[in-house]
Amino acid sequence: MIDLTVGTLALLVGWGTLVGLDLVSVPQGLLARPLVAASVAGWLLGDTETGLRVGALLELFALDVLPVGASRYPEYGPAAIGATFLAVGLPSASGLGVGVVWGLVVALVAGYSLEWLRHTNARQVHRWSAELDAGSTAVVRRLQWSGLARDAARSAVISGLAIALAFAIGVSGQSAFLGLQAPITPVLVGVGVASALSGALRTAGRGPRLAWLGVGVGLGILAVFSFGVGS
Amino acid sequence: MRGQGRALLRLFALQGAWNYERMIGVGMGYAAEPLLEDLAAASPERHRAAVGRATEFFNCHPYLAGLALGAAARAEHDGVPGDQIRRLRTALCSPLGALGDQLFWAGLVPIVMSLALAAVALGAGGLALAAAVVGFNVLRLLVTRWALATGLEAGMSVGSVISASWLPRAAPRVAVPAGFAAGLALPLVGAWLLAGAAGGTSSVLAAAIGGCGGFALHRWGGARWTSLRVGLLLAVLTLLWTRLAP
Repeated sequence: MIDLTVGTLALLVGWGTLVGLDLVSVPQGLLARPLVAASVAGWLLGDTETGLRVGALLELFALDVLPVGASRYPEYGPAAIGATFLAVGLPSASGLGVGVVWGLVVALVAGYSLEWLRHTNARQVHRWSAELDAGSTAVVRRLQWSGLARDAARSAVISGLAIALAFAIGVSGQSAFLGLQAPITPVLVGVGVASALSGALRTAGRGPRLAWLGVGVGLGILAVFSFGVGS
Repeated sequence: MRGQGRALLRLFALQGAWNYERMIGVGMGYAAEPLLEDLAAASPERHRAAVGRATEFFNCHPYLAGLALGAAARAEHDGVPGDQIRRLRTALCSPLGALGDQLFWAGLVPIVMSLALAAVALGAGGLALAAAVVGFNVLRLLVTRWALATGLEAGMSVGSVISASWLPRAAPRVAVPAGFAAGLALPLVGAWLLAGAAGGTSSVLAAAIGGCGGFALHRWGGARWTSLRVGLLLAVLTLLWTRLAP
C-alpha cells in the first residue's frame, strides 16, 4: 500500500480540486476527463502506467455521458484520482478492477454533490435577486466568486475523501485483495466497452454515421491483430 | 469597445455560479461587465439596466455563449430597447445549446478522447494524451474568441450571421468522425486493458459475459440503467460469485 504522506495528499487533493473545477466551473478544458485525471494522478504517484489503465477504463464509462445542461451526471474526475490511488497500491491482477469499482462509487456520489452545489448557488442567487435585477456589479462579482469558491471546496472535499477512504480500503482489505483472483477487471472492461459502444450507437443513429462506426470497429480489430495489442 | 480581453477570459469561467434559478445568467453578467464599462461613464442608469439584463436567466453551450454575450453587449451600446435584447437572448438559448452540444459534447470531445484512448493503447503513453488536451484547448480558445468577436460585430443580426457561418454546417458533420473514432478505439483499448488482467482465456470469457450483460442492460434496461450503475451491479455480482462459488 502506498504511504499516504501529507505531501502526497496535498498534491493529489490540489489536482483533484483543479479537476473538479474543470468539469463545470472553469475552464472545462478536458482536465476532468478520467483518462487525463487518472494519468496525472498516476504520474504524481510515480506509476503513470497504472494511472493510464485506470483512466482508460473509467473513460469508457464516461464516453457514454453527455454532460448536458441541468441533467445529473456522474463526476469521474476526482473519482479517477481516488481509483488510481487505490489501484497503485494493490497487486496488479486485482488492483485495476478494485480501483475502478471504487472510482465508480465515488463518481456516483460526487454527481449528487454537483446537484447540492447548484441548489446552494440557486439559493444565493435567489437571495440577491433584487440587487442582480438592479444591475449591482458588486453582487454579480460576489455571486460568481462565491460559486467558484464553493465548487473548489466541494472538489477538494470529494477528492480528499476519495483518497483517504481509498487508503483505508487498501489498508483494511490488503490481505483480501492479495487473494482476490476475481475476474472483476475483465468484467469491467467488458461492461466499459459495451457502455461506450452503446453510447456511440445512440449518437450514431442510422445511415452513414452507423456505417462509419462499423468501419471504425473493423479497423480497430484489424489494428489489434496488426500491432499485437494485448499479446 | 473596451474590455474584450477580460470578457474573453471570463467566458472560461462562465459556469462558475451555475444554478437552477438563472443557470449561467450570473456568469454571463460577470463576463459582460468589462464590455459594459464604457456605458457606466456615459449613463450609469443604462449601465445598471444593461448589467441587470445580462444576469437574467440564460442557458446555452458554454463554448458558444460568446455569440450571445457579444451580441447583447453590442446591442446595449447601440441603444437597442431592453425588451428586444431580452428577446434576442431568449431566442439564442436553444440554437446555441443544440449546436454546441452536437459539435462539442457529442462530437469533438468523443473524437479527441477516443483518439487519445487509441493512441494510449498503441503505446503512445502520456505524451499523446497531453497533445490531445492541448490541441482541444487551442481549438476551444479559437472558437470562444471567434464567438465573442462575431457577436460583438453582429449585434442584433447575430442570428443571420450564425446561420451563414461554419457553425450549423460543422455541427452535424462531426458525428461521422466521432462514430469512426469511437469504433476504432474500443477494440484497441479493450485488448490493451485485458492484456493487463491475469487469466488468459478466462479473462476474455469474463469480458465477453460482462460486455454482453452490460450491453443488454444498458441498451434495453431503461434510462435507470446508466453505464455506471450497470458497471457497479456487475462488479458486485462478480465479487459475490467469486465468494460463493465452490
